[in-house]
Amino acid sequence: MKTVSNDSVYDVIIIGGGATGAGTARDCALRGLKVLLIERHDIATGATGRNHGLLHSGARYAVTDRESAEECIKENMILKKIARHCVEKTDGFFLTLPEDDLGYQKTFIEACRAAGIEAEAVDPKEALIAEPSANPTITGAVRVPDGSVDPFRLTSANIIDAKLHGAHILVYSEVTDFIFDNDRVVGVKVRDHVSGEETNRYGNIIVNAAGIWGAGIVRKAGISINMFPAKGSLLIFGHRVNNVVLNRCRKPANADILVPGDTICVIGTTSDRVPYDTIDDMRVTPEEVDLLLSEGMKLAPSLEHTRIIRAYAGVRPLVAMDDDPSGRNISRGIVLLDHETRDGVKGLISITGGKLMTYRLMAEMATDLVCAKLGVSAKCVTATEPLPGSRNDSPEEISDRMSSVYANPMRSSAGRHGDMAKSISHDTEYDLSLVCECEDVSLGEVEYAIENLDVHNLVDLRRRTRVGMGTCQGELCACRAAGLLAKAHGCASKAVADLRNFMNERWKGMYPVSWGETLRENEYTLWVYAGVCGMNRKSEDKPEAKSECKSKGKSVKKEGNHEI
Amino acid sequence: MNVQTNNVSENNFEQCIKCTICTVYCPVVPVNPLYPGPKQAGPDGERLRLKKGVFFDEALKYCLNCKRCEVVCPSGVRVGDIIQSARLKYSKHKPSIRDMILASTDLVGSTATKMAPIVNPVVSSKPAKALMDGILKIDHRRTFPAYASETFEHWFRKKAAPLQSAFAKQVGYFHGCYVNYNYPKLGQDFVKIMNAVGYGVSLVDKEKCCGVALISNGMKKTAKKHAAHNTAAIAGLLGRCEAVLSTSSTCTLTIRDEYPHLLGTDNSAIRDGVLLAVKFLYSLVDRGEIRLVFRKDFSMTAAYHAPCHLEKLGWSIFSIGLLKMIPGLKLTVLDSNCCGIAGTYGFKKENYEVSQSIGQPLFEQIRSLSPDVVATDCETCKWQIEMSTGFKVMNPVSILAEALDVEATVEENKKAGR
Amino acid sequence: MRFDTVIIGGGLSGLVCGIKLQKVGKKCCIVSAGQSALHFSSGAFDILDRLPDGTSVRHPLEGMRHLPSTHPYSRIGQDRMKEYVSATTGFFADCGVPLCGNPLVNSYRLSPTGDFCPAWLSLSDFFLIDEPAVDPGARILIVNIFGYLDFNPAFIAAGLEKSGATCRIIAVKLDEMERLRSNPSEMRATNIAKVLDKDYVRSELVSAVSKELKGESAIIFPAVFGLESDSVISEIRNSFDTKVHFATTMPPSVPGIRTQRKLRKHFESIGGTYLLGDTVDRAELSDDNTVLSVGTVNFGDLKLTADDYVLATGSFFSKGLCASPEKITEPVFGLDVDYVADRKNWYDTDLFATQNYISFGVSVTDDFQAVKDGRPIRNLHAIGSVLGGYNALQEGSGAGTAIMTAFRVADIIIEKEEKR
Repeated sequence: MKTVSNDSVYDVIIIGGGATGAGTARDCALRGLKVLLIERHDIATGATGRNHGLLHSGARYAVTDRESAEECIKENMILKKIARHCVEKTDGFFLTLPEDDLGYQKTFIEACRAAGIEAEAVDPKEALIAEPSANPTITGAVRVPDGSVDPFRLTSANIIDAKLHGAHILVYSEVTDFIFDNDRVVGVKVRDHVSGEETNRYGNIIVNAAGIWGAGIVRKAGISINMFPAKGSLLIFGHRVNNVVLNRCRKPANADILVPGDTICVIGTTSDRVPYDTIDDMRVTPEEVDLLLSEGMKLAPSLEHTRIIRAYAGVRPLVAMDDDPSGRNISRGIVLLDHETRDGVKGLISITGGKLMTYRLMAEMATDLVCAKLGVSAKCVTATEPLPGSRNDSPEEISDRMSSVYANPMRSSAGRHGDMAKSISHDTEYDLSLVCECEDVSLGEVEYAIENLDVHNLVDLRRRTRVGMGTCQGELCACRAAGLLAKAHGCASKAVADLRNFMNERWKGMYPVSWGETLRENEYTLWVYAGVCGMNRKSEDKPEAKSECKSKGKSVKKEGNHEI
Repeated sequence: MNVQTNNVSENNFEQCIKCTICTVYCPVVPVNPLYPGPKQAGPDGERLRLKKGVFFDEALKYCLNCKRCEVVCPSGVRVGDIIQSARLKYSKHKPSIRDMILASTDLVGSTATKMAPIVNPVVSSKPAKALMDGILKIDHRRTFPAYASETFEHWFRKKAAPLQSAFAKQVGYFHGCYVNYNYPKLGQDFVKIMNAVGYGVSLVDKEKCCGVALISNGMKKTAKKHAAHNTAAIAGLLGRCEAVLSTSSTCTLTIRDEYPHLLGTDNSAIRDGVLLAVKFLYSLVDRGEIRLVFRKDFSMTAAYHAPCHLEKLGWSIFSIGLLKMIPGLKLTVLDSNCCGIAGTYGFKKENYEVSQSIGQPLFEQIRSLSPDVVATDCETCKWQIEMSTGFKVMNPVSILAEALDVEATVEENKKAGR
Repeated sequence: MRFDTVIIGGGLSGLVCGIKLQKVGKKCCIVSAGQSALHFSSGAFDILDRLPDGTSVRHPLEGMRHLPSTHPYSRIGQDRMKEYVSATTGFFADCGVPLCGNPLVNSYRLSPTGDFCPAWLSLSDFFLIDEPAVDPGARILIVNIFGYLDFNPAFIAAGLEKSGATCRIIAVKLDEMERLRSNPSEMRATNIAKVLDKDYVRSELVSAVSKELKGESAIIFPAVFGLESDSVISEIRNSFDTKVHFATTMPPSVPGIRTQRKLRKHFESIGGTYLLGDTVDRAELSDDNTVLSVGTVNFGDLKLTADDYVLATGSFFSKGLCASPEKITEPVFGLDVDYVADRKNWYDTDLFATQNYISFGVSVTDDFQAVKDGRPIRNLHAIGSVLGGYNALQEGSGAGTAIMTAFRVADIIIEKEEKR
């Protein structure tokens, strides 16, 4: 085992690369701390990337959970300023259907206003003009400042800024155990999933920001947190049916939010308690799909005919407090645990509960505690300091300036990377050529992401750029992107194996909805990847190609005139 | 759960499974790199435009609306409609005076016909062409179709109309601007054939241009007015006629499909009744309801070119089938390629080169066959082929009329009690 | 409109059946709703390289003995399969589609991801080898067209280097290709092929590659040559002293599209009628389960009538089969479909494992008569991938089934006529 020498003791080690972990890393780094973040997979792979992407106004919680509602609207307004390139200010409607009690609307509006949320009743006719996809039979509508947020961009921007301020980020590295010095946690044992190497990392404070997995993490330190794994399933539709977030004006229930985001829209969610040992492998069942669809159609009837491109599920990191079997009534509130006072374990804190919307506040609370413990007095600036990508021109401003031929790929990348898009080369035909045709991802953007955004494989690339997130789910672009990864990483056989994994990862979201066009798409994908490429023959007929990249860079050279 | 049985979005772009077949058959992509191609311009672009209108690309104007992408699409996606709808919905480009002149075929036609003896020599003169090229951006290399001195409608009212009520069976005729202003002879040929097989002909009341050129030049409002008028007038005619026929493949496609798909005009009451004359005639022959007798002394070699819009209608088989019935006609069917004109597209200075490059394979094949005539059902294809190859181009209806032994046909159809 | 046979579906199976019938003077009409799956062909035909239990098959005719009785090959029968297997190369040669490979023994082809995959017969653009390896001493130059992303020379090189071969990769920049490259999305195999169909562009390519050759024993190009005709293929081959091979690209497939065009042209040249872009959307059946006519979207009230009808509409991709959340249906005739009921059973969660839905298809008798409400339809036969009872991807039997069942049904229709 390698041991890292004492001079690299970090002020703080953060476990978990979701929005909360990334936000905490950024906050700590901005306050001058020496930070290490450790993530088991890629960033934003847990619940962060597996929700609606709803920029809550808080209205949803106004009646049932005032505290959450107030947190939401505050963070909503902050994110609209500091993360402009990750958010869309769409507004939201809370719709009353004939089967709902219109009387609830009044309670709802009052509760919203009490929580500081602008809520205004709109004539149903006007609401339908503003959002034609809404159910035409609505009897009431309330406009609130909902929006949508891209969790991948948001997490990535936090990571980028943390790194700019000196933080170290370890991805594909798992914390396997804590290192104790008597009753104090002084470090963690880390396994690198790529190399298989194990190292010790030392830090003065360890922050457990591992979401639902956090319960498992602290158990290694002999601590118990009673987590409530609540599975939420969602469906992604092939295009934007709505441009305003649609909610039901009633007590929160299943499948009552339809959120437009980038090129698609998402309906969700279900809520079911699941056993803790299943949280690593959430799969959407046909029953959940049917429920989401039939409820979703009540919000926007055209969903009946809209192609579903994927289904996915996440696990809410709720901390159990009462015996509610559904998990609906549990507070979405933030839980900050100081294990020194709670469990007598020094040097370890947990930040959990909460939601994507409040990641920044959670990070602030955790960092405040870290600073208090370390005796650091620096104040939090994350509520006012814009994230990288949102510092200069907004995507709209950048996009509106573009008028050249074939500006769309540049426009799309400006939407994804904000003002960071200026680092993307779009100077030549080569840079401009499209890798992903559904989502308009250029070769220049892919190469930028590979070089600058810690892309280890195609799935990482997808989270950074939307490659493979479109209608065909990677059918055309995956092989192109694999070629570019092969070039960048100097290993073709690893890229081919990665391609296989990527197509399978796409299938995981497709099979729960595999009928109609989605099944057709999959048959076509199989013809190409199983039939033409022979990928369904590989595993059994030939030994799997592993670590055979000794010839790295020998046959794969940089592409230039007459030479690759 | 009885949902998602018909997994199709309203404008069906979601049926696209990104198979790329449309890109193989697009005639524009190989000659004009500024055109994003049918897949990007169509279903791919539609998703982006639904996200934000700013993703509309004015380069969609390079689409010919030939609909070859739709013919080959295995998913039934109306790629061409998606592109044209997007142009109508998002384009900020205002039609220029040139575009308005080119699009207003009936307005310009009616003026020009009245002054045909003056207009024809003028528009074909060098100074006028230079003027049109310089000011209007209508390419000077383009030959302008000549205007007739008497419109078809005028001729029909004077010469044909009084005779039509004698026939027990009736059809309507949507003559279109070309027949009316440029080439009344085709309309006369049509009347000649229909009368010979025992059908009287009526015209559509106050027929307006089908609107195809208005649509492609972004003049949706006027196009919708035309569509509403024609739909109502055709419905009136269908009350007493078996069908309303046209000799132009583009007029037919526009009335049948572009009205509902691009203009949102409900034509369900008339759609099935609007047919290309060749389809109607072929069906009558096929069902044994009429017989055509041809002149024994007729001899001709012809090369048949299927216009894009006829390929989309799926009806070139009827033109070919009828022509094959003529004993004295030696027919070769040309490879299915776009001629490049696409209505007013090829007249625009900025499109001239592209237009001619698209047609090149077709022109070469015609030259190598060197037929007496080229047969085609589209007037703009006719202009393009005549101008680019020098070969004479005839509508199949005119060839039929020329080859028809009128007396024997009349006799035959009477005798058989048909 | 009357024909002897109306074939619904104009892909590989429909065309083979149509050509075989038209050859003996049957007047055939093929109605094709859009272009076919040949547009994504690997360039090779497979017939059977793996049994349902996973056993590899080297000799397809031997392997067939182990297939269940409901498999299309079993319905055709061993003797006929033998006859058809031997007749395939000749049949395609008559259509102007030269094939290579030993029909009795499977060979291997090179896939776009650098794997050697089993193959039966191949278009002569490609090379087939007896074992999944190349000569370890081989020195190979892999040439790409600069900026073309649907062909990854590094994948091919990695595959070939597994057998010890040495590969060198170059990407050639051609002036004429730059125009096409200025379009971000259209650098596709077929558009490249259209540029390379021009003589002067090809000679520019040949001279650029010749300069790069450093004693390599073979050159591999992406298969982006000869959209219209394969004369370009032999011309390229003759331009070098070195062996020249072509490797499959990602879709669209230039050799596949050329094959589709040649088959259609051949069919039309012997008098067949091919209606592209039309969809058969209704059928009229008599009380005794005989098809009286079919109607199409474009033809309206003008019906197509024939003695025999052949259903060659393909599987889900081409909408020969339609899947809703609850059931799988055949849209033209409403035929009985063999599938498992609960949609949980349609798929495997591993994409590359055996996907059950691929083996779903219309119910047929041993003579491939389609079945509706449990009763066979006398004059309607089903061929190709609309059939069930076989898993084209798991077995590697897609093209083989398309061709074999087309041959068989053409023979059945011809025999019926003889009996009459």
